[in-house]
Amino acid sequence: MRSLLIRIFVSFWSIIVITIIAAAAIGFWYAERTRTTIENFEVSDAVLEASSALRENGREGLTEWLRLLPGAAESLVYVVDDQGKDLLGRRLPSIVKIPVRRMGEMRRRPPPAKHDSRYIRPARPFTQLVGPDDRVYTMFVLPPRNITTRWLVDKGRGGLVLLALLVSAMVSYLLARTISRPIRRFRESANAIASGNLDTRVAESVGKRRDEIGLLAQDFDHMTDELQRAWMQQTELTRNVSHELRSPLARLRVALELARRKTGDLAELDRIDTETERLDELIGRILEYSRLEADSHEQRSNIILDEMLHSVVEDVRYEYGYQGDKASIELEIDTECTIDGYPNALRSCIENVVRNAVQHSRDDGDVRVRLGVEQSQAVVTVEDQGGGVPDHELDRIFEPFYRSRARQAEVSRPSGGLGLAIASRATTLNGGTITASNTANGLSVEIRLPIRKRY
Amino acid sequence: MMPPMPDSKILIIDDDRELGEMLKEFLAPDHLDVSARLNGEDGLQALQDETWDLLILDIMLPGMNGIEVLKQIRQDSDIPVIMLTARGDDVDRILGLEFGADDYLSKPFNPRELLARIKAIMRRSRSDEKRGKALTVGSLELDVGSRRVSAGGKSIRLTGTEFELLRCLAESPGKVVPKEQLTQQVLGRRHMPYDRSIDTHVSNVRGKLSSAGVDNPSIRSRRGVGYLLLLDVEERR
Repeated sequence: MRSLLIRIFVSFWSIIVITIIAAAAIGFWYAERTRTTIENFEVSDAVLEASSALRENGREGLTEWLRLLPGAAESLVYVVDDQGKDLLGRRLPSIVKIPVRRMGEMRRRPPPAKHDSRYIRPARPFTQLVGPDDRVYTMFVLPPRNITTRWLVDKGRGGLVLLALLVSAMVSYLLARTISRPIRRFRESANAIASGNLDTRVAESVGKRRDEIGLLAQDFDHMTDELQRAWMQQTELTRNVSHELRSPLARLRVALELARRKTGDLAELDRIDTETERLDELIGRILEYSRLEADSHEQRSNIILDEMLHSVVEDVRYEYGYQGDKASIELEIDTECTIDGYPNALRSCIENVVRNAVQHSRDDGDVRVRLGVEQSQAVVTVEDQGGGVPDHELDRIFEPFYRSRARQAEVSRPSGGLGLAIASRATTLNGGTITASNTANGLSVEIRLPIRKRY
Repeated sequence: MMPPMPDSKILIIDDDRELGEMLKEFLAPDHLDVSARLNGEDGLQALQDETWDLLILDIMLPGMNGIEVLKQIRQDSDIPVIMLTARGDDVDRILGLEFGADDYLSKPFNPRELLARIKAIMRRSRSDEKRGKALTVGSLELDVGSRRVSAGGKSIRLTGTEFELLRCLAESPGKVVPKEQLTQQVLGRRHMPYDRSIDTHVSNVRGKLSSAGVDNPSIRSRRGVGYLLLLDVEERR
C-alpha cells in the first residue's frame, strides 16, 4: 500500500464497511428480539391465562392477573380498557398512547352499516380480549426498554465493541498522522527557507516514502536546490562584477597619476580622481553587501558592544572631523554589554548607521548614539537631526539603493544608497532586528540584538 | 642629502599585466625597478631566483591565491610585503596581515599612496642598518642591527613590520605608545579610521612571543589609546 490514495481509500472503506456490518447486525438482532418477544407472548399461555382470568372474574380477575404478571413491574405489558386507561392506573408511555387514542377515535365514529359489516372488525395490531360485559381490553406488549444495554453486557459483547472502537480510532489516527506529520516537516522547512536558511532539506526525514508525499519532498528539495543555486549565482555574479570593475579602475588611477606628471595638476584631473574614488567606494559597498547576503565566513565570538561603539564613534568622528563637517556625535552608554555575534558584520552595521546619521544631519545638528539593555536585548539607538523621512517610507530605507526624496537633496556621498541595506543585512545575520522611526526633527534607527552568551 | 642609492628592486605579483606596466612607468622616476609576474607560481620562482627589496602581492590571483603565496614566502623569507586587497574584503585583509604581510592597500589604490608606503618601508629597512644598538626588556633581546629578536638565547622570527612594532614598544617599556604614533613609526603613514592594521600586527607579535614562551614582558592594550610593553616587576622565579 504505497500510494497514499490507496491507503486513504482502504482505511476509510474498511472502517465504513465495519460500521455498516455492525449497525446492520445490531439492527437485525434488535428487530428479531422484539418480534420474538411479542410473538412468544401472544402465543404463550399468558394470553390464555389473561383471557380465562377475565372470563372467570371479570375486570377484577384480569387486573389481578396483570398485577401478578412478572413483566408488569418492568412496564412491559399494559392492559388498556375501552376508556383508554391502564388497569393498574399506570401512565401510558407514548408508544402506547398513540394507538389508544386512535382506537378511541374509531369508537366515536358511527358504526358501520350492519348488513355488510356485522361480523367485520377493523384489523387491530394488538391482542384484544372481550370481557363478559362486552368491554374490550387491549394488551400492549413492549420490548424491554434496556434491551441494547443488556445485549452489550451479555456474553462480553461490550469488550468487543470497545475493541472495535479502539481499533478504528487507532487506524484513523495513524492515517491522519501519516499525512499531518510530513506536512509539519514541510512547514518547518518552508519557514526555515523563508528566514534565509537555504540549506534546509526535507528529503532526509520524508523522502524515504515512495508515495505522493515522498515525491513532493523530492520536488520540494529540488526547488530549494534551484533557489539556492540561483541565489549563489547572483551573489557570485555581484562579487565578480565588483572585482572585475576594480581592475580598470586601478589602471585608471595609475594612468591619471601618469597624466598628472606629464601635464601638471589640472582641476579636471582632481575631479576625475574624486569620481574614481567615489566609484570605488560604491563598488566596495556592493561587494560588502553581497558578502553579507551570501553568508559570513566570519567566526562568531563575544563582542563587547560598548567598546565597539566607542571605537566606531571615534572612527566616524575622525572621518568627518577630517572632512570639516560640523556635526558632532554624542555617545551614551547606559550599561556595558557583551553579545555573541559576527564582529566584522556588526561593526559594519553600526558604522553604516552612524555614518548615515552624520551624513543626514543638518550642519549644526548632533547625532546621538545610545546603548541600553532591555529585557534580554541590547538596544543601540542612533538619532539624527536630519528631518526624518515620510512615515510610509520608513521600512523602505533599508532597501538597497533606496533614497528618500525628502533626503535625496542633502546626500552628496555615494555610499548613501547601500549603507542602511548593509546595516539591515548585518543585523539579521546577527539575529537582531533594525527599525526606523521619526523623532521631532530627525530619524531614529534602533538596532536590537539578542544577548546570548557563548558557553 | 641621502647619497645616491642603487635602484630598489620591487616585484609585483598581479594578474593585471597592463597595471604592472603602468606601475613600472610610474615608479621608475623614484629609483624603483619594478618587475611583474602574473601568477603565484611564477612569483615564487622569481623570489627564489633573485633578491628583491619589496614585494607587492595581489590577493586575487588566478590559481594559487595571494594568501597561499604569502604563506609560502613567510616560511623562509622576511621580505617586506605590501598586499593589494579589494575594498570591503575585510577577511582577506585581516588574513593577509595575520600571515605576515607588512601593510596593505585596497585596490584600486591611489598610486601616490602606494609610492608613499613603499618609501616608508624602504626608509625603515635602510635606517635600521645604520643604528646597531641592542635593546633588552625582561627576557627579550632585540638586536636592531641584524633585526633579530631572541629570548633566553632562542631566536624568534618576526617580519620587518613586527620587529619594528616591537622595537617601538621596547624603546619605552611601561609607557603607552599611542596607535597614531605606532602607525606613523611602524607603517610610515597616518593612522586612518577603520584601520585595524596595527591591532593585527600586535596580535601577531603577541602570538609569536607566547609561542616562544615569553610571558614577561607582555604587550598590553589601553583601550582607545594604544599599546605598551609591560614588564612585570614582581616576576616569580
